[in-house]
Amino acid sequence: MARLEIRNLHAEVADDEEETILEGVDLAVESDEIHALMGPNGSGKSTLAKVVAGHPAYRVTEGEVTLHLDGDEFDEPIPEDKRTWDLLDLEPNERAALGIYLGFQYPAEIEGVTMVNFLRTALNAKFEEREELFEDEEDEEEAEEAGYDTSPMEGPADEGEVGVAQFQEILRGKMELLDIDDRFADRYLNAGFSGGEKKQNEVLQAAVLEPEIAILDEIDSGLDIDRLRDVSTGINALRDEEGSGVLMITHYQRILDYVEPDRVHVMLDGQVVMEGGPDLAEKLEDKGYDWVREETYGTA
Amino acid sequence: MSTQVHANLTEEQVRAISDELDEPEWLLETRLDALSALSDLDMPKVIRTPGRDWTNLDALDFESFVDPLEGAEQKERVTAEGAEVLEWSEAVAEHEALVREHFGSVVDTQENYLTALSTALFSTGTLVYVPERVDAEDVKIRTTVDSRSLFNYTLVVTETSASVTILERQSTGDEVEGDRYYSGIVEAVAGENSRIQYGALQNLSEETYNYTLKRGRTDVYATINWIDGNIGSRLTKTEVSTELAGDSSETQIVGAFFGHDDQHFDLDSKVWHYGEHTTADLVMRGVVDDTARSVYEGVQYVGDDAWNTSSYQRENTLMLSDESEADASPKLEIDNHDTEASHSATVGQIDEEDLFYMLTRGIDRESARNQLVEGFFVPVLDEVEVGELRADLRELIAARLRE
Repeated sequence: MARLEIRNLHAEVADDEEETILEGVDLAVESDEIHALMGPNGSGKSTLAKVVAGHPAYRVTEGEVTLHLDGDEFDEPIPEDKRTWDLLDLEPNERAALGIYLGFQYPAEIEGVTMVNFLRTALNAKFEEREELFEDEEDEEEAEEAGYDTSPMEGPADEGEVGVAQFQEILRGKMELLDIDDRFADRYLNAGFSGGEKKQNEVLQAAVLEPEIAILDEIDSGLDIDRLRDVSTGINALRDEEGSGVLMITHYQRILDYVEPDRVHVMLDGQVVMEGGPDLAEKLEDKGYDWVREETYGTA
Repeated sequence: MSTQVHANLTEEQVRAISDELDEPEWLLETRLDALSALSDLDMPKVIRTPGRDWTNLDALDFESFVDPLEGAEQKERVTAEGAEVLEWSEAVAEHEALVREHFGSVVDTQENYLTALSTALFSTGTLVYVPERVDAEDVKIRTTVDSRSLFNYTLVVTETSASVTILERQSTGDEVEGDRYYSGIVEAVAGENSRIQYGALQNLSEETYNYTLKRGRTDVYATINWIDGNIGSRLTKTEVSTELAGDSSETQIVGAFFGHDDQHFDLDSKVWHYGEHTTADLVMRGVVDDTARSVYEGVQYVGDDAWNTSSYQRENTLMLSDESEADASPKLEIDNHDTEASHSATVGQIDEEDLFYMLTRGIDRESARNQLVEGFFVPVLDEVEVGELRADLRELIAARLRE
């Protein structure tokens, strides 16, 4: 079981030190759980997602973002001294290799790169990077002395990368799971996709990459009701089929009719100011964010 | 205002080249006229932006790399059924009238200093002749330059309702100490309702200065499509162009380039709409890395009588390093307003948000960049109808990215 722990996180815009946008965020998400992160526009939800993923536009000034692994997440046991990672020290792609996934509110449109090639490259890159991160230098030396190669964290098959045919199989399975049109695979990454297709694609990518913790930023915005249902099915499957932890950022109640969160966190002015069970979301629906403001700062 | 080479070129050298190819007297005279015109001719026009000539051809030390009598190459010519693909001595022996009719008819031999130099000195050439109603697929001309300098000439003639696909490649073979020079002139004459598809892939060594001019003229209902890939050379100055002379004729000019290190590309795409109901589509994409420079000029000219013209142009350059430089000027000159036209050009860098998106999927920075660059070329590669050329170009781009 993996656990993402954010502690007292402060961040500012990298080229504008005056503008602080995270003011001490505390939040934790574990595998097999869906958390909703709610809050009004500008409260820092999307910024938090980007900071955790390692976006270069933000600078962390204080606090920690840690990923704890149990040791049984990947194909081979993880040695005890490699189970806790300070994500802030890592490149975005290294964070991804350890199991952090960011679903974008506005996914990039990338011409000329097909979904199937992109995702196969990503999956292989993830295994390769993971192998490097878990490489035990002492073991390496001993192995070298002993005259053979050990790599504690190989990909799915010890013989190397996921081939084209094998990957097609994986992708087809995930598309079936999420009820996604076959033609998706050969289209260019998000290029010319409708808003709904893009969001569906973000969930599909998560399903393929099987993250420990998936942060989905406003995955529900701009979706019609049918697509909202599809996307919700995907999010539930991430937890129920892949065992991922999901941090779902939203400011609408709507999606919570389809995805029942285990926990709800509410952000305001760069901090998490309220936490609770699913009933908190219902309370928010009734009382609105002004109520949160009042509860936080006292009645005006 | 010119220049240097002609000082050490002689009539005897030109006579020797012509004699070697058993050329008729009129062709020798054309060569000698070009030679004597050298001192009055200017270099081809280059882009100027305020305070800057992007390509200074006058500064090139032609004397050091033009070696007229020592031209050496390996040539591979693959002919297609029904077409004639002849080396130059055979071309003048077997089709003198045809050669005489068309030689210099599309590209003025004395258009500029470098065309005249090429006319005077070309020692190798090819005629591709496709008679009426013949469909010729997969003509190939591969030139491997072994000498310090090589002057090459190609004439393509398609008669009524004929068609041909030609794939031309240039590369360098034997090593030569110091700089080299390659010059290639291509004239394409497309007869009524005929179709010429001409793909070229230039991958000369990076000590080679390269001047190429490819130009075609269409008769009624004819089509000329050009594909021009530039990967090699130290400096390339090239023009690919079509005169849409016949009514209802059309052209497409597709270009791709990838410069790195200190390479310099100066690329012109041009179309002249003269006939009625003509269509042109100009598409160019290129990448510059390291300290490479590219300058592109695209000109769409619509003449007085060119009623009902359609003309489109788009160019995109991607700079991969802070030290690379690129300039692009699309130009539209319209003398007949019964025209539907568009032109656009962009020069940009890799989008940081695109890159971040790929990183969050676990792809490292370098592979992400490579995927984005390969993807950037796809819209141009998709326009390349010659499968072999598309595959070669894709492979060269991938190889350059992984250097």
